This record gives sequence, structure tokens and C-alpha cells, in this order.
Amino acid sequence: MRLESTLATGAGIEPTTPLAALPVGSESELVIAPMLVVLVAAVGSLLLGRWPRLRIGVSLAGGAAYAVVVAAIDWYVVLAPDAPGVATYQVGDWPAPFGITLVVDGLSAFMLTMVAILGIASLVFSTRVLPEIDRRSYYFPLFHFLALGVTGAFLTGDLFNLFVWFEVMLMASYIFVAYYGGPQHTRAAFWYVALNLLASAVFLLGVGGIYATTGTLNMADLSQRLADPGAYGLEPAPVVGLFALLLSVFAIKAGLVPFQFWIPTAYRAAPPQISALLAGATKKVGIYAIIRLSFTVLADADVPVELAAPGVGTVIAGDSPLAFIGAVLFVMAAASILVGGIGAVGRDSIEGVFAYSSIGQVGFIALPVAIAATTASAELRHLAIVATLVYALNHTLAKGLLFLAVGAIRSATGTSRLSDLGGLAGRSPPLAIGFFVGSLALVGIPPLSGFFGKFLVFDAAARAESAPLLVLLLVGSLLTIAYATRTWNRSFWGAQTDAVEAASVDAVQVGVVLALATAIVAVGVGFEPVYEFADAAASAALDSEAYIEAVDPVEPGELEGGEH
Amino acid sequence: MTAVVLAAVVGALFALGTFLLLRRDLIRVVWGLAIISQAANVYLLSMGGIAAGTADSVPILAGHGDHVPETADPLVQALVLTAIVIGFGMTAFALVLSYRVYEEHDTLDVSELGDRE
Repeated sequence: MRLESTLATGAGIEPTTPLAALPVGSESELVIAPMLVVLVAAVGSLLLGRWPRLRIGVSLAGGAAYAVVVAAIDWYVVLAPDAPGVATYQVGDWPAPFGITLVVDGLSAFMLTMVAILGIASLVFSTRVLPEIDRRSYYFPLFHFLALGVTGAFLTGDLFNLFVWFEVMLMASYIFVAYYGGPQHTRAAFWYVALNLLASAVFLLGVGGIYATTGTLNMADLSQRLADPGAYGLEPAPVVGLFALLLSVFAIKAGLVPFQFWIPTAYRAAPPQISALLAGATKKVGIYAIIRLSFTVLADADVPVELAAPGVGTVIAGDSPLAFIGAVLFVMAAASILVGGIGAVGRDSIEGVFAYSSIGQVGFIALPVAIAATTASAELRHLAIVATLVYALNHTLAKGLLFLAVGAIRSATGTSRLSDLGGLAGRSPPLAIGFFVGSLALVGIPPLSGFFGKFLVFDAAARAESAPLLVLLLVGSLLTIAYATRTWNRSFWGAQTDAVEAASVDAVQVGVVLALATAIVAVGVGFEPVYEFADAAASAALDSEAYIEAVDPVEPGELEGGEH
Repeated sequence: MTAVVLAAVVGALFALGTFLLLRRDLIRVVWGLAIISQAANVYLLSMGGIAAGTADSVPILAGHGDHVPETADPLVQALVLTAIVIGFGMTAFALVLSYRVYEEHDTLDVSELGDRE
């Protein structure tokens, strides 16, 4: 009898319920498309192991299809005149807080675009490097699984799935760090694995605690409940501490000080084209998660926090956990800028320079997030997020280019130690041009993409009216100039060393580097549409109402009246 | 009472895991990681509530109204199941990797690994 009644009411949340009136349209299917494309590419290239040429063909086709799908999302969901701004896909048609929700808004679309551009560059580059290593290995399937994890992390609408996609992404990256299998690679991979397993356990603690506190893991639902804890009968105070746990996990992924120690060894051990992806894409997952949780989930949270943020004129918040997150991020970002910059100046290998540089640059990316979290002005908050996104885009392009250039140098000369290099400019002028553009973008010279990134970050700091921040940014920029010129001078100028004289530079590799250089110039010259995209992305990140409305989480109890 | 015992167990597991994580032997480090991830799983399971739940206390059952018998929260169990699978895969990979480290370096001692910079 009891069983029967359970079954009868169980129908309340069956997929066919009229309550699951979901926004079914072309946008809805588009949301899951990038994941499907990359999954097909991964499995396809996995099955075609016996035919290396076919496998590479499928991989490249998968990369191209991914870019097309992401471009379609950019247009139909974000940029088109009548675009909805947010699109959701409820997996299996289960209504929001119960099923798995995939959401794409301006912020996710912006991040996906960066991954698509860099992914294609890295993929084409890989096809030219791999024959020397092993075409039959699991390189290409792993490449796509890495992209799958990153894509899933950008699209998922709930915290536990964020954990799962992080693991998918990490599992592929573990193998890439250990890929060459030499002594320093295995050692780097072991510590990378150990650190990330520990981080995963911490992530689970955060997720479990948040579920126990709020009764939900869906980000839209979470945001809704935290904004009005009284109505749901929640005691949300622990949420701040639990989000601090999550923040530390994301900071590990982003490589912010004090969690930066794994980066130099891991980036040196991984193949350069994968380091490009690690710096350009997986790092951004950490940044994305911080922005998403801070501004979509926590911004409206009604949880009193009493903290004064040091360094910023306007001390704010009070009843939002953002005050706490902002203060912590300030310290992390400032330390990252200094540690990364100073570390990069003294390295002897080019990978080492750029690995440390990544730590410094991620500081530049995180600093505006901290400004946005602590400011009371909606306008400055918006500007700061735009600054973060533009800077992140520049970092993805420039650092991707530079790591690929390192790959080209290494496969041409067999070394990447600055002391063994010199005079590369005479050996391959096109590579020198590409490298030069990448360095200038990192430094922030107009009219390259880096200029606007740096300009917006300085602008945000200036409007926050904080002199210490400006000094910090200036010091960081000077350090960038110092290591960029030093690397450039020592590898491309001067007398040609033996290694450089014997070098034969691969035309396709240089072509990929030049294509990225062209992209950097194009973003800088035609900055208007890029700015509009970043602007839309920032609005999406800050507009938690639209996000909640699109996901449309069903409130508990609401389902009951559904069919009966 | 159950809550206290459970808290003590989770705490003890974390302590043991951390202790092993700080050993010099790589295999112990892997053990430490495995124990910590299991501790996280036990914690996650306990987050669904220790007392028997009903439609009021278990959010995912809310849609079923009053007809739900006393039951545990099924959601955390699904989460833990996923986490266990991922944890197993990771531990297996870490063990294989330690074997590979042993092959490359002829040692599993952390301090000796660090010396060969």
C-alpha cells in the first residue's frame, strides 16, 4: 500500500511532468553540443589507435567542430541582437535542483572561446611534434578528455559536477605531466597528483558541507537560498568557511600564491603544447570557478561578515561573504604578482621563465576580481570583471603562443636553456617575430591585446583609489618587462650557439605561432567587439537573477501540486 | 552519540591520513591520500543527516510529500558512490606512478628524490 502511494507521488518529478516546462529550443541543445563534440572526438580517436593518420584527422576535425559549436554558442546565446543571454540544458529533462543542469551564459561562453582558440592551435601544433615521440600513444584521446573536463567545468550548473569535471580534466593532465616518463617527469607528476588528490578531498569537504548547510548543490538554487536564508529555514553562517575551503581548491588550480609551488615543475615536465593548454585553459577554470561562485552564487548572500579589506579606500560589504573572499584574494593576487615576477627573472630555462610568469600573470587576473569583490560601486565591479576577462584572454593568447614557441625552439634545437641559446632571430625570423609579438603582448604594448588588458586592470585599480595597488601593479609590470626582454635577448639576439646553428625550424609549428600572433594583433586592433563580448560576459557574471531565472530551480513542495 | 562517534572517526581518519602523507616513503604517501579521500567520503555521507530522514529533512524527497517513509538521504549516497569511483581510479594511478618513480629513480624515499635535482 505504502509502496503504491510512493510510486503515485513519485510521478511528481518524472521527466514527463508538465512542470518540467523547459526552454526547449535551439539554444538549449547548443549548450550540451560542445561536450558531445569533444566526447565524440575523444572516443573516436581512442578507437582509431591502429590508424595514426585517421586518428589525427578525427582529432583535427573534432577540434574544428568544437570551435564551430563554440562560435555558434557565442552568437546565438550572447552576441546576436535577440540573444537570450543565458541558455540551459536540463539533462534528461529533470527539473533544476534535482537533475543535472548545464548552463551557458556570457561568462562561460567567453571562457569556452578562449579554450577553443588555444585548443586548435595546440592541437595543430601537436600533430607536428608527435611523430618524434609516439603517434600510437594515447596522446590525442587524452587531449580531448582534457578539453572535455575543461568544457564540462565551464558548463556545469552544480557544485558536485564541477568536482567531477575537475577530476576528468586533472586525470588527463596527470598523464600529460608524466608523459615523457623521464626522472624529472615522474617526480613532477607524483607531486602534482598528490597535491591534486588532497585538493579533491578538500573540494569534497566543501561540497558536503554546503549540501548539509543549504540542502542543495545547484548553483542557481544555492544563490536563491543564500539570498533569503530565512525563507528556507537555513542557518547559512558556515557557508563562508566552506567557501573558503573551495576558494583554496580553486586557487590551487589557478596557481595563486601560496599554492603556486607545483606550477614550475609541472609546466617544465609537460610537453610545451600541453603547458600552453595548462596555462591558458585549466588555470582559467580556477579563475572561472572563483568568479562564478563569488558573483553568481555569493554576491546576494545574506551572511554577515565583518572584515575590513586592506589597501582599498572603500571598505565595503558587511552582509556579504564577498568581503572575506575579496580580502583573501587581494593578498593572494599581490603575492602572486611579486613571487611570479621575481621568480621569472632568474630562471635559466625558457619554460621556467614562462611558468613563473604564469604565476605572476594570474595575479594580474585575480587582482581585479578582488577589487570587484570588495567594492561597493556596481560600476567599478563591472569594470573590474571586464578587466579580469580581457586580461585572461590576453594571457591565454600570449602565454599559449610563448609556450608553443618554446615547443618549436625545443624541437628545432633540442634545448630550451637560455645559456645554450642565442641568435635564434637570424636562424628563423618568422619565429622571432611571433615570439616578439607574444612578449610584447605579455608586457602590454599597444596596439596588442595585452595593452587593453593592462590598461583596464590599472583603470580598475585607479578607480578603487588605492595607491598601494597601483604601485604593486607597476612593480609587477616592470618585472614583466625585465624577464620578457631578458628571455628575448638571450635566446634571439647575440651570436648563434652550436645548438642554434644546427637547428631546422618546422614551418607548420612556426605557422601556428604566427597565427596566434595574428590573433593577438587582431584582438588589439579590432578591440571593440572583443570589449563588447567581455562586457556581456561581465554582465552575465554579475547578473545572478537572470542566471537563476534561466535555470529555474523548482522550490521544494512546489512539485506536489504538479499532477495531483 | 552517533554524531560524536562519527566525528571522532572522521577526525581520526584525517589525522592518520595526514600523518602518512608526511612520511618519506612514497607508498605511505599514497596510503595517506587514499585514507584522506575515504575520510572525505565518510564525512560526505554523514552530511546527509545521521537520523532517519523524511520529506522535510531530505531536500530531494520534498517533492514526494508526506508519503515518504523514514529513509536516508539518497543524494549523498549517490555523491559518495561517484567520489569513491573517482578516488579508486586516482589511487590506482598514483600507485602505478610510484612504481614508475621507483623504476626511474631506484628509490621511493622522498628525501633522495629531492636531492637529485
